[in-house]
Order: sequence, then C-alpha cells, then structure tokens
Amino acid sequence: MDRLTQSWLHLLALTTATTVLAGIDSRLAAVGLLALAWLKARTILGGFLHLRAAPGWLGAASLPLALWLAAIAALCLMRPG
Amino acid sequence: MRIDDLPGELILWILIASEVAVFAAGLSAMVVMGLRDPVGFAAAHAQLDGRMATLNTLVLVTSGLFAARAERDAAAGRRARARIGLGLAALGGLVFLVLKGLEYARDIHAGIGMDGQPFFTFYYLLTGFHAAHVIAGVAVLGLVTIRARPAPVQAGAMFWHMVDLVWVLILPIIYLIW
Repeated sequence: MDRLTQSWLHLLALTTATTVLAGIDSRLAAVGLLALAWLKARTILGGFLHLRAAPGWLGAASLPLALWLAAIAALCLMRPG
Repeated sequence: MRIDDLPGELILWILIASEVAVFAAGLSAMVVMGLRDPVGFAAAHAQLDGRMATLNTLVLVTSGLFAARAERDAAAGRRARARIGLGLAALGGLVFLVLKGLEYARDIHAGIGMDGQPFFTFYYLLTGFHAAHVIAGVAVLGLVTIRARPAPVQAGAMFWHMVDLVWVLILPIIYLIW
C-alpha cells in the first residue's frame, strides 16, 4: 500500500473516531474532538502536502495548529454549564 | 529546516498559512462569542444536522486522495491518469457542494437565518466562505486538467488540500463541540 493510501485510510479512521466521540456529551469529548482535528490536519499536511518529506516543516506547521486548538480547548473547558 | 525543502511554490505555502489563519480567527471569534452565551449557542447548534458535515468530511478527504494521486501521476508524466485523478477530485468537490446545498436548504426550511442567533451568523459566514473556496478549488482543478503539467497540477492539488485542511478544523468547532 502506498503512502497516499495510508494517509487516506488514516483520515477515514480519524473521521470515524470523530463520529463516535461526537456522540458523547461532555467537555472532555470536545477536547478529544479538537485533538482528532489536529491529527487530521497533521495527516493532510504530512501525507497529502508532503511535509513529512521536508525536514522540520511538519513540526513547524503542526505546532501553531496545536497551540491554537489547545487554546480553543481551554475556552471550551472554561464554558459555564 | 530550509525554505528550499518545502514542496511546491513558496507562494502557495504563504496562501495556505494565510487562509488557515483567517479561518482560525473566525472560528476563535465564534468560540469567544459562545462563552458569552453558552446556552444560546448550544441550543442553536442543536438545530444543525451534523451528519451531512461528517459525510462531507469523507467526501473531501477522498477527493484529496485523488488530487494527491493526480499530482504524483503528473510528475511521472502519466497525463491521462492525472486527468482522471483531477476529474475525480473535482467531482468530489461538486458532491461536497451539493451536500452543502442540501444542508443549507434544510436549515433555511427550518427557519434558520443569518440574522438571528450569532451562532448562525458565524455558521453561515464560515461554512459559506469555505464553500466559496471549494468552488474556486473545483475551477482550479478544472483549469490544471487541461494540460496536466506537473507544476500547475501540483499547485492545484495544494490548493485543494488547503480546502481539505480548513474543513477538518471547521468540522469540530462549528458542528461538534457545543
């Protein structure tokens, strides 16, 4: 199996996990959904946009996304109710 | 880590970073607004049908696979295969737009407009802006299909992956976390 197909299967698996987690009504599930979004974004960047083959660039692109999604997760956890 | 190591044209990476930043700003503003009215946002979100959005995620990532394969085929000089891949990727974009149209039709039929609850203002603006990118992406894929040369096909595929990338960030924040 080639790497593009592997990336696609990885994305399908992450989307399936997203669907399962979306059925759980909790703040921690929201954090998990954001983590899954980051993994999907990283898979697209690394697999489809080929950053995996560019030394250092996948981390450089993934880190700001991780920080932003962590900030969104923190805001979700701060939400009253 | 060197600029030269980046695949494709640098200007496309600047475009990708800019677009992701614009959507991230809009999504962040939505979440911050949601902190001021969590009950209203949760009630508004409950009116959305997330099934279409999940289905559209599967459509877009599959379309992304076809675009990536087309890029590889074009680089290897397999133009006919590249054209087929680009056509399938564009078809995925059209399916995405049809599903999005059905979703909007359902929302409008249910009385969900832009001018009521702020959640829906963000919903229509962000998903509508993304859909505009999908339309642009389909047009770009169509254009690069004509000659199917490696560099333009790579540029078209990169634009398409950006559309995919933005969507996986939109999905949880608009459809799932409320």
